[in-house]
Amino acid sequence: MTEATNGHDRTRAERLRSGLKRRYAKERRFRAYGLLAIAVAVGFLVLLLGRIVEQGHTAFYTHSVTVPVYMDPARIDRGYPQGTNFEQLVAEQQLRRLGIADDATGSKATAMRGLFSSELKFVAAGRIARQPGLVGQTVTLAAPLSDDADLYFKGKITRATPAEQRRLSNEQIAWLDRMRDEGQVSAHFNAGLFTRGDSTEPELAGVLGAVIGSALMLLVTALIAIPLGVGAALYLEEFAPRNRLTDLIEVNINNLAAVPSIIYGLLGLALFINWMHLPRASPLVGGLVLALMALPTIIIATRSSLKAVPPSIREAALAMGASKTQTVFQHTLPLAMPGVMTGAIISMAHALGETAPLLLIGMISFVPGLPHSLVEPTGALPSLVYIWENASERAFHERTAAAILVLLAFMIVMNAAAIVLRRRFERRW
Amino acid sequence: MKFKIFRSTEDRNGGAGADPTQTPRMGGQVLPAADADGAGDSASGRVQDAPVDGPPALPPTTTAPRALHAGGGPVGQTKICARDVSVFYGDKQALFDVSLDIPDKTVTALIGPSGCGKSTFLRTMNRMNDTIPHARVTGRIEMDGEDINAKSVDPVLLRARVGMVFQKPNPFPKSIYENVAYGPRIHGLATSKGELDEIVQASLKRAGLWEEVADRLHSPGTGLSGGQQQRLVIARAIAVEPEVILMDEPCSALDPIATAKIEELIDELRERYCIVIVTHSMAQAARVSQRTAFFHLGRLVETGDTEEIFTNPRERRTLDYITGRFG
Repeated sequence: MTEATNGHDRTRAERLRSGLKRRYAKERRFRAYGLLAIAVAVGFLVLLLGRIVEQGHTAFYTHSVTVPVYMDPARIDRGYPQGTNFEQLVAEQQLRRLGIADDATGSKATAMRGLFSSELKFVAAGRIARQPGLVGQTVTLAAPLSDDADLYFKGKITRATPAEQRRLSNEQIAWLDRMRDEGQVSAHFNAGLFTRGDSTEPELAGVLGAVIGSALMLLVTALIAIPLGVGAALYLEEFAPRNRLTDLIEVNINNLAAVPSIIYGLLGLALFINWMHLPRASPLVGGLVLALMALPTIIIATRSSLKAVPPSIREAALAMGASKTQTVFQHTLPLAMPGVMTGAIISMAHALGETAPLLLIGMISFVPGLPHSLVEPTGALPSLVYIWENASERAFHERTAAAILVLLAFMIVMNAAAIVLRRRFERRW
Repeated sequence: MKFKIFRSTEDRNGGAGADPTQTPRMGGQVLPAADADGAGDSASGRVQDAPVDGPPALPPTTTAPRALHAGGGPVGQTKICARDVSVFYGDKQALFDVSLDIPDKTVTALIGPSGCGKSTFLRTMNRMNDTIPHARVTGRIEMDGEDINAKSVDPVLLRARVGMVFQKPNPFPKSIYENVAYGPRIHGLATSKGELDEIVQASLKRAGLWEEVADRLHSPGTGLSGGQQQRLVIARAIAVEPEVILMDEPCSALDPIATAKIEELIDELRERYCIVIVTHSMAQAARVSQRTAFFHLGRLVETGDTEEIFTNPRERRTLDYITGRFG
């Protein structure tokens, strides 16, 4: 073999070498495809997130105005301060302060009123209700500006914007400039976005109602889908005999995972609302529908992680005299737990973003304020996004993007929790 | 009863299976392979020309106790008595009418080539075949005179009496302590924490692992070396005070030093337990066992005193196997 460097061996070596070159080239090509695929995916993600952040970041701050108000005893009913037209009062005083004479119809006062949020009325009435002694004095009130005035200060409306695309006249813009110059306008973090429910007034609309609605819904989904799904998977994987019936069940579970979500919405509408008469648009019904949707995913994920538990552990437990149930609950399930958790949380995150079934059970309606129970109508984050996106007020556009960011943050928190839980439960064997 | 069952075998053998004059002749000659195969394939093997050699049948029972006493090892009463045990996986028959007596306080080695049914037979003794779907066991297996396949015998309780050690060390992914404490805990053998601690310590000591793990009882059992893991698994098995310990190739995944330790341990455990060990290593069977049973193609070919099987087998196939001609 040592001196066998004849012609045959040389061609063999060449063939090997050229083949090797081809193999390495193939590998390099494949790596390049992989990198390209990842680059495209990351590019799309950056584009998507960048667009949302670009549109939405302005919704996280807002402008409010600080005005001195003379609480005119002639116009305030001490017994019923809420009935006072504070907006008109403030607008007229503001006009006077700016040295502008109103016309006979009071159109300038109306225009000035348009710069303040309707919240001004509640701020003023609240102050009077708490301290009735303030009537007849001058009080400094801070209240949000209207959405249009806010947009002007954010630079989304300018004098250059065509008049038919803005709801502020040049005159109003001039007043806003003067108010700013006099230091009456201040920018600050838009806490209301996170502490309020939905509202028809963009400057008063917040996501908290929808966040609570979504959280309640997910709670119902998790409480129903996870025990049912894990139980079903455990039975199918560990206890059920392998026969035609279980094969059929398995195939159908896989089919159910692929059923469009709107079908689940229809099912929920027919089953939970029309037949069981559960309250429409409530987190209870929403959670039930989403639980139906999440079940197949949880079952499939749980079964595959149960399958991945090494049979040697099962054998060890059985040979120790553990019963079937002890084996499953003391050994198999704990070892499968990371996979079960991952499956459950991924399906929960999926359920969180699901919109189509919510449309059909009425969760798409406008619900102001915050939910307090599982059985009253509430909104949900995805439907809030849908509602705001369709709203005519321009200020809702940035808030739509902000709501999407909140939804994404919610999901990131859930997925992070999934990772933490998985790390915690992960054991080597 | 035992005698009766074996008499039928003797009848088949013409009562000459143990003819001492036959064995030396067999050892010296090499028969054509086809002949050996024929003997293996046909259940009765009556086609063979030498009736004295006998078919691949059971050896006469009467030789079993005699051989053991001749071997000189400490041998107890028959602990497990298997009669005509067959195992089917679905339509496939894996084990054909195996009848074997397994004495107490003795190491019995089951040897044979891969797929010969020795592990299957081992698993009938703690009913682990019950856990395999479509597996069916026929025949009768008695432990201390009680049919272990009877409806009244709970497999869970049976497995508390018959421990098992597997080929690959399979400690639970828990601490060393928890691994050993698991059995006593599920069977309710310890009434207090102190008692449990004692059981754990005694079991680890008996498995020869105490010195190595005493200071890290609460670190994971999976962090031990392969040989330590296997001894941990043995400690886990003996923690429930079983009567029988089944070992399915316990050293095949271990290095020679770890193997030597396990073999030493098996030899010590023999004083208290009835041990049945499946092994691929002829040398191991010769080292640790007092009794050996040779399986081939799902049939028990020959059983007897280990020394006798290795030096003086009655069956041609046994000889071929132990001399490395096949398997």
